[in-house]
Formats: sequence, C-alpha cells, structure tokens
Amino acid sequence: MQDARITKHALIFGVSGQDGAYLARFLLDKGYRVFGASRDTQFASFANLRALGIQDAVQTLSANPADFRSVLVAITKAQPHEIYNLSGQSSVGLSFEQPVDTFSSIGTANLTLLEAIRFLGGKIRYYNAGSSECFGNTLEPATETTPFHPLSPYAVGKAAAFWQVANYREAYGLFACSGILFSHESPLRSERFVTQKIVRTACRIAAGARETLILGNMDIVRDWGWAPEYVEAMWAMLQSEIADDYIIATGRTCSLREFTATVFKCCGLNWEEHVQQNRAAMRPSDIAISSANPEKAARLLRWRAKHAAEDVARLLVEAEQSR
Amino acid sequence: MKKALITGITGQDGAYLARLLLAKGYEVHGMKRRSSLFNTQRLDDIYQGAHVKDKRFFLHYGDLTDSTNIIRLVQEIQPDEIYNLGAQSHVRVSFELPEYTADVDGLGTLRVLEAVRLLGLEKKTRVYQASTSELYGLVQEVPQKETTPFYPRSPYACAKLYGYWVTVNYREAYGIYACNGILFNHESPLRGETFVTRKITRALPRIVLGLDDCLYMGNLSVLRDWGHAQDYVEMMWLMLQQDKPEDYVIATGEQHSVREFIELAASTLGLTLAWEGEGVNEVGRVVVFDQRPLIDLIERQAAGEESATHKAFFNNILAKLNNNPALRPGSVIVRVDSRYFRPTEVETLLGDAAKAREKLGWQPQTPFVDLVREMVEEDFAGARRDSLCLQTGFAVHETKE
Repeated sequence: MQDARITKHALIFGVSGQDGAYLARFLLDKGYRVFGASRDTQFASFANLRALGIQDAVQTLSANPADFRSVLVAITKAQPHEIYNLSGQSSVGLSFEQPVDTFSSIGTANLTLLEAIRFLGGKIRYYNAGSSECFGNTLEPATETTPFHPLSPYAVGKAAAFWQVANYREAYGLFACSGILFSHESPLRSERFVTQKIVRTACRIAAGARETLILGNMDIVRDWGWAPEYVEAMWAMLQSEIADDYIIATGRTCSLREFTATVFKCCGLNWEEHVQQNRAAMRPSDIAISSANPEKAARLLRWRAKHAAEDVARLLVEAEQSR
Repeated sequence: MKKALITGITGQDGAYLARLLLAKGYEVHGMKRRSSLFNTQRLDDIYQGAHVKDKRFFLHYGDLTDSTNIIRLVQEIQPDEIYNLGAQSHVRVSFELPEYTADVDGLGTLRVLEAVRLLGLEKKTRVYQASTSELYGLVQEVPQKETTPFYPRSPYACAKLYGYWVTVNYREAYGIYACNGILFNHESPLRGETFVTRKITRALPRIVLGLDDCLYMGNLSVLRDWGHAQDYVEMMWLMLQQDKPEDYVIATGEQHSVREFIELAASTLGLTLAWEGEGVNEVGRVVVFDQRPLIDLIERQAAGEESATHKAFFNNILAKLNNNPALRPGSVIVRVDSRYFRPTEVETLLGDAAKAREKLGWQPQTPFVDLVREMVEEDFAGARRDSLCLQTGFAVHETKE
C-alpha cells in the first residue's frame, strides 16, 4: 500500500465521458491528484467535467491510448499510481459501422496501456473497463466465470481486451483488473443511449411537446444501475490486496418496457399514449436478456449498488427536469 | 470452376490446402506477403508461372493489415471460398509482438469478413477462419470441445479469440457462411522450423550426423494433441461444404508430452534416451545407439543411387556415426533452456472431435508414430544433404535460430 501521507495520482483515459467525469470527481474527493487524458484536449469540450464543476481541478492532457509514445508521455507527466482506462468507442450500434476503429480504440489501446505499464516496471495499478456486452444473452445471472458470447464488434473487442488484461496479470504479475460493468446510466449519458432518449423525450412531452417516442425492441431486459456509484467499484478494485476481475451490477433486471413506463410515470404520463415500437431500429444482433450476479463484488469489495432501475429512472427524470 | 482465396498460403496449412483444392479442380488464389527473402518454398512444386496454359494457381501480394488490399483482391477474384490461414502464428513470439499479433490475427480476420460484407458477397463467399486450441489455454474441462469455455493464455490466443468471435458475430449478424475450425496442433514436414515439433525433428538428425551437439528445449512436460496437417486441411474444406455454417473442433483425441515426442523421434533414428533431473536441470541422455534403423533409413532414402560416389558417402556416414561422441552412451543431447519458457504456459490440450466425426464424417488418418517418423525422416534427408555438401566443400545455409 502507498503511504497515506503521499498524494496519490490517478490518470484517467477517457476522462471526457460519463464514467471518466464521475470517477474524476470521486477521486478528487478522495484527495487524489487527477490527470485526465483525452485524444485532443484542444477540441474536447469536457462538458461532463464542467457539468460536475471539476474542470479546473482535473489536469487534462492530450493522449491517444493506442499510441505508445503518447501514452508514455502522458504517464511521465502524470506519474500515476493508478491508471483507469475508460476510453474507447462505446456505442454498440456504431461498432457495426466502424468495426476496425472499434477494435483499435478498445483492444489496441488496452494492449498499449498494458505494455506501457510493463515497460515502466509494472508498478502502476490498472483498471480496464470491461463490459456486460461480452456475455451476450444471459440464460441465468452472469458471474465472473460465465463464458462469453459477444454479439457485436464492440463486445468482441471488449472480450479480447478482458483476456489481454487477465494474460498480462498472469504472465507478468501486473496489478490489472477488469470491471465487467452492466449498463450504468446518468444525466451525463448522451441521447444516443436509449435511457437518455426515453428520459429526454418524456420530459419534453411532459413540458408540452407533441412528439412520439420511437423505440426498438421493448422486450429487452437489462440490469440498469446508477453510474456515479459504479465508479466507486472501479476504485475499490485497485485498492484490493489481489488483482482480480469483478462484475458490477445491481443484480436486478428490468425490461425496456418497464423502464419506459417508470420514466413516463415519473413525468405524470401514460407511456402507451406516446411510444411506438419500430423493428427497423433494431441492431443486426441484439441482446435479449442481460442479467448479473454481483455477489463477488459485494463479498470482496464490499460494494453494493444502492439504486436499481426504478431509482435510476426517477433520478434521471429529476435531473432532466432541473436542467 | 470454384475459386478459392487462401491467406497465409506460404505456410504449412496453406501449402497443403492449396494442393487439396487444386486436386479438387479449384482455381486457387493465394495471398503472400512481400518479403526480400523468398517465402514460397512450400509451394515450389505447385507453382505455375505466368505463361502456363490453363493456369489455375495464382499468387498475389497481400497483407492482412491492409484493408484496401484485401478488399481489392476479393473484388477481383470474387472467390467462392476464403480460407483465412494468415497469421502471426507463433505463441512464444506473440509475447514479443503483442500489438502486431493483435493486428494481423484479430483485426486481419475482421478485415477479411468486412471485405465480404462491403462487396455484398454475404450470400456468395464462404469463409473459413483458422481458430486454435490455444483459445482453451488454461483448460476449463478435459477434453476440450466446441462448448468448452475459452481461457486464452497469450497475446496470440487473445488475438485469435477476437478472430473467433468476430467470425461468429458476422455469421449471426449478416448471415455470412463463416466457420471456425478450432484446430489442435497439427504438424508435418512443412511445419515452420521454429515450432517445437519441427525444432526437434530437425535437431536430432543433425546431432546424429555431427552437425549439432545438443537440442535446447523449453517445457518438456506440456501435453499436446498432435495431428497431421495434411489430414486437417481436408476438414477445413469439408466445413465449407455443409448446409449450415458451424464451428468444429479438429483433433486426434490422443495426447503426448513433448518429452514423448522427443523419445519417439530419437527412436526413429536408433537412439534410446533416458531422462534425468527436473525442471531446468532435466537432461536427455543417450542410453544406447543402434545403427540399424538409421542404415535402413539411408538405404531407403538413397534407393536408386547406386553410384560409386554414393557408396563413398554412405561409408563416410557410417564412419561419422562411429566417431560421433554425441551418440555414445551417457552423452547428453537434450537440455532445458528457460528462455524458451512462456510467461504463461498452456500445460495441456486434448481435443474431442466427436462433432466433426458425426457431422463431417471426418477422421484423422495419420497415427502419432507415423507423423513423427515422417517428420524425422524428411529432416534426416535434409541433414544428410547438408552433411554431404559440407563434406564436398560447399557452404550450406545454416539458420542459427
């Protein structure tokens, strides 16, 4: 363990995204000095950091995690004790259109960060953002030993990255962990994600807009959690005695239909009057059920989700209405 | 006439598959990387020059890291079948070249599938993806079959895991007829010289003829399921001739250690070995050397060469065998060098090919002993040629790797 009197440094790749922003805030509160890497800081708006009021507290630097030199320069500047890799092309739908870039930004980037840590002596602790998408459909709640069956180029890339992390941990003794996070939402999500699309449309309708919400398959079942508390689990993984991989989820499932109904109810509306299902919005291959068993994290990290899907829906609506 | 495109045609499997497809009447196109060294030795006997009539064998420059190249080739050839055998295929080397391995073995597979999708050939072009038993790595069940979960243990296996799943995904998402062949180790006289089996079958004849004195090995205890590459390429073809695309394990169902492989290879040359010590200190010592199997072998290989010069060489080899200190009882000819250990080792692999047997009617033809004997005999012929050349004052190309 580090001496408690020394200020810890953390370097976050993908700091401009939802998780990056919440993690940065969480680590700042813990007394960390936080460095945030983004591919081009000149062009990044860091709207999420601004939204959380921490843009000045986070020291941003330009780095492309798939470029070894750029990673080394960032690490040299930040001198991190911990690296969190939250970067990468994060849309499942887009991965069918940009499969090569999706792998480069997930697989090659992860490998480059692992190699850089190995190159620098292997002391820096590493967190990699895994994904529940790796499991594909879950016949029963997934655990850390459930075999993968990825259903998109995004998920295939995340599966390869998961095993790269495991291999570098086993081959070189790196302190490297994958967090297999199930869907986690917040007001910082863009409208490209279905939860935000539902919330924003419902709020607009409640405010008087005349529009119809068009959704794909509403039977899909997900484990939706609250992003601000998921980043705490990332940090907890890197504070453990032993590096390992963990599922992070609420352990409860909810269909898209139920989620939509809750959101509309929070807005004082009946969803059935405002929603249309459109099969054309579906992906080439989609996950029907994604459910998880987060007991390992509860047992070993003492982490448990406080908010499940209903709370998430309510919190999202509240945030949207107070925007 | 069906057209096939083979990536990795210059490798062991590519060479056998090209022969098989030519024999079946295909027009065969192969993709080879540009190199300043010749890299088509394995294709010499099927090569057809530019002016051959009814040419059915074509080589194209290509590279799995270049999307534009793959798309253009697939567009020009319009193949009925693509066999993606190209890869950085060496596990130990992947620890030195992890990013390159991911690019070629992982993204390379995606680029091939994308070319099919982009050109609208989803209904025409069938794709075979060379997957590997290394995916099982730290095995989760014994023996391994199609439903056994993966646990990759090297950058090579991680890259191949991506290739495996992206193949499944393109099948499921776009209806491409794409199959993974999960092949367990498959060897032959055409196996790359740096792979463990070929390293053994090259080194022992050279030791016998006094060209080398010791074979340095990695982990001797690892267990593998070894088949013959010639048998296995037939199954690649079979997979693409079915009604439905599926993934298949291809294996013999029989397991041997590296140590056993060495013993058997040595016995083909008349050498009986005994093992002493453990781990890095383990050595293989000659117990007894019996010249007779070797003399039989030389006579068989030299059948028809009745010249006086040949007799002189034959006698000369006998003299070499008699004077070679490495062949005397007690001499150590196998040692362990830890630099051949992998950071994470795959200790045991054993395949269950029941599905291929049932659905493809496929059975491996070559027993393990025959595989080892064939490899040793071929490499003995090479060593004998080198010995002969050296003796008559010609330089031979000796790769020091």
